[in-house]
Amino acid sequence: MLQIDHLTTADAKVSLDDVSFLFEAGNIYTILGRTGAGKTELLRALMGLNPLTDGEVKLDKENITKRPIRDRNMSLVYQQFINYPHLSVLDNVAFPLRRQGKKKAQAQALASTMLGTVGLGDFLHRRPSQLSGGQQQRVALARAMVKQSSILMLDEPLANLDYKLREQLREEFPRLVSDNEESVILYTTTEPREAMELGNTMIVMHDGKIIASGAPADLFANPPTKDTASVISDPPISFISGFVSNKTLYFGEGQIAPSDGLQLPPDGPVTIALRPNAIERGGDFSAKIGLSEFSGSQTIIHLDFAFGRAIMMVDGIEAFNSGDDLRISIQAEQMMLFAPDGRNITIRDNQDG
Amino acid sequence: MNKFYHTLKTIFLLGWSIFVVFPFLWALSTSFKDANAITSGATYIPWVDFEPSTQGWTSLFTTGSRGINIIGPFIDSAAVTLIASLVSLILGTLAAYGLSRFEYRLGFVKNADITFFFISQRIMPPIVLAIPFFLMLKELGALDTIFGLVLVYVALLLPIAVWVMTDFFAGIPKELDEMAMTDGCTPIGAFFRVILPNSVPGLVVAGMFCLIFGWNDFFFAFTLTFTETQLLPVSIVSLNSSVTPWWSLSAFALISVAPLALVAVVVERYMSRGTMSGAIR
Amino acid sequence: MLSSKHFFLLPALLTLVAIILFPLLFTVRVSFSSWDVFQSGLDFIGGRNYVRVFEDDRFWQSLQRLSLLSIISVSLQYTLGFALALAVWKQVRGGRLLRVLFLIPMMTTPVVMSVIWRTVFHESLGPVNDILSVFGVGPVPWLSSAMGAFISVLIVEVWQWTPFMFLLLLAGLVSLPKEPYLAAAIDGAGTWRTFWQVTFPLMAPITIGALIIRLIEASKIMDTVYVLTSGGPGTATETSSYYIYIRGLRDFQIGYSAALSLVYLVIMVISLTIIAKLLLRMLVGRDE
Repeated sequence: MLQIDHLTTADAKVSLDDVSFLFEAGNIYTILGRTGAGKTELLRALMGLNPLTDGEVKLDKENITKRPIRDRNMSLVYQQFINYPHLSVLDNVAFPLRRQGKKKAQAQALASTMLGTVGLGDFLHRRPSQLSGGQQQRVALARAMVKQSSILMLDEPLANLDYKLREQLREEFPRLVSDNEESVILYTTTEPREAMELGNTMIVMHDGKIIASGAPADLFANPPTKDTASVISDPPISFISGFVSNKTLYFGEGQIAPSDGLQLPPDGPVTIALRPNAIERGGDFSAKIGLSEFSGSQTIIHLDFAFGRAIMMVDGIEAFNSGDDLRISIQAEQMMLFAPDGRNITIRDNQDG
Repeated sequence: MNKFYHTLKTIFLLGWSIFVVFPFLWALSTSFKDANAITSGATYIPWVDFEPSTQGWTSLFTTGSRGINIIGPFIDSAAVTLIASLVSLILGTLAAYGLSRFEYRLGFVKNADITFFFISQRIMPPIVLAIPFFLMLKELGALDTIFGLVLVYVALLLPIAVWVMTDFFAGIPKELDEMAMTDGCTPIGAFFRVILPNSVPGLVVAGMFCLIFGWNDFFFAFTLTFTETQLLPVSIVSLNSSVTPWWSLSAFALISVAPLALVAVVVERYMSRGTMSGAIR
Repeated sequence: MLSSKHFFLLPALLTLVAIILFPLLFTVRVSFSSWDVFQSGLDFIGGRNYVRVFEDDRFWQSLQRLSLLSIISVSLQYTLGFALALAVWKQVRGGRLLRVLFLIPMMTTPVVMSVIWRTVFHESLGPVNDILSVFGVGPVPWLSSAMGAFISVLIVEVWQWTPFMFLLLLAGLVSLPKEPYLAAAIDGAGTWRTFWQVTFPLMAPITIGALIIRLIEASKIMDTVYVLTSGGPGTATETSSYYIYIRGLRDFQIGYSAALSLVYLVIMVISLTIIAKLLLRMLVGRDE
């Protein structure tokens, strides 16, 4: 169990601002945030690599805020594939075990087993530089896991990999950490899908703060704030300003927006959030097609309305001409509303409470 | 590239090569001459221009009044240069690592100022230090000893080592040190177990520069040693001012520059790999 | 943390402070004394040595000579070194051999080479005049005329230190990015324009570094002069270092030479700082 209270740092670029959280052993926490949100800084602060100006880190109730890095019982995998260039793959993974005081033979045996697990059994005597990026990152992962430390931190471990290798390693990741019961795993990423797929708990960071946390599906369906919703941006989310007047929802320019099944707030400005599934082809609204692109078996279309911009998706591959008009409809049941202060104020008629 | 440029380039490279090689070839030729071959004016090719003689070379290894002893100075030069280079490299590497990884503060003095203090020593003209060095070594009883010269040479070479290694360490990602520490190393352990084994290219370049500047120094060896300790440059200069014949002088000179000429091969390798670009801002 | 951080820095720092700083401070103290052959020891005569420095024409002339020698020799070294670096930069056949060859002079001991150069420039027995005579030139009084001696020193300096420029500039060329060259090629820039618009600007930082380093080293010229000309004929090639050496370690005017060397050091530091700033402004267009 890892508890952090009021972590604050004063780094020049990105700093943590009063971050508190309780991490339970046996869980995988994915930390989602854009570049510069403070994800890496949080991990580095936990590790003792970045100095704290305030706050405490407690590991199993023991205050380790001032403990030297080497005694923290934590391991870290960097975004860049950092391995020891002068050591073989086997010795790389045996390195931390040797520092723990294990005999050479024992350390190498354990390292060799771990390398087998990550699929590098055939590369024990190569140098890291002779491996592909994906393999190098596997070495780093093996070295971090072989220690069996109570905290395993992975800082965007897949970000620097090619698409294919990334997909491959991401699919394997759950298997690699499946027998974990005792450690806390922290996994940072900028990709919402990765965060939702890999974590039991998703933590959303923004501007050096934790702004939301919870089960990934819940956070996706009901982001508590507009910032949270905008960080969970895959599939892409579009924000359109609007207002409520006389129990009617309007888009920015005064065009009446659909609001069936939504309980509208009192009169005043709101932000309307549209994910692609809120927009369908054919209907009352007219939009100009901007860019269209293919993603897998879907076509993503950027639309320009009189009142803003949004993105819709169409199943199948279809060519759209930029500049053409398209008739679309907007599904009120898929819309979300946010108050000017960013709170999620979506209340649906059929919703309990 | 057009033909004109190409021809120009070839002529230039050829001309410069001749300029570079000329003094060596001249010395080589001279080293095999005897009095006749020299006093009759400039001659170049043995057997054609003059009858070669090996007395220039044999005199270097002859003891007694007719011989010139090169072995003693060679050993002294090698000892002073190697010891001073090694000490400078060790101290300089440690300091450079410290300066690249930790924050130091002493009043208004910060890392950049300390680095500057080290490197700025190169600006110091030897003459400024010569007299105090002389008096200091006299106090220590280290005048005319290898120890005394090593001491002075360390001051001379340390800035070079710090300079090259600071830039080298700046190019090694900090994450590597951090990784070592998360894997259970102390900061000192991280340096010795991880950083040092990965610093060979930097150490080679820094070491080469130390050797070059150490081996080639004349001024301090000249002012701080007399008879007991004698380095090659000083010996040859003292031979030069006496009535030493040209053939011995030339042979002596060739032997004394030969070891470092070999260094050029090593330096070239690192230069072409681009390992050295960091050595200068 | 505290102890390990000092473990790295302190040994070197203390060594340097002990070996350099104390002697330097001692020099300052000595410069206010009348220490010489007749009177050794530290008395105090105020700034009299410094007044003498400012009236010492021979010193100021040596400084002028040194400036001229440094600036001309470093400019030549830079131009030739850059030309050589460019010439072998992309040379494949024999490139390695040429690079090694071009580096060799800087590895050789200046005084030792000067001993050889002396024989090369010898008026009646040396090869230079012999070769010149084939073209009907000479005999040139290389080491016995003021002009000849100055040029001889210049030639030896260029021979010895052009390789250093070559080394730094070629190392810089090797690590240049490829993209700007592609862009220039697409723009259809010729060899000449590519050099001035791409290579030269990209090399500006290294140019500045190399020039400054060489100027610093050149400002200390003394070994070569000592062997080649002994500052002569007369004082025609006497550099500041050499003059101070004569006053201090030959005439044994310790106090006065200490004052001379400090004035020399201060002038060096100030003028090199100004030159560095000027170069930065000229070549990079920034003020820092």
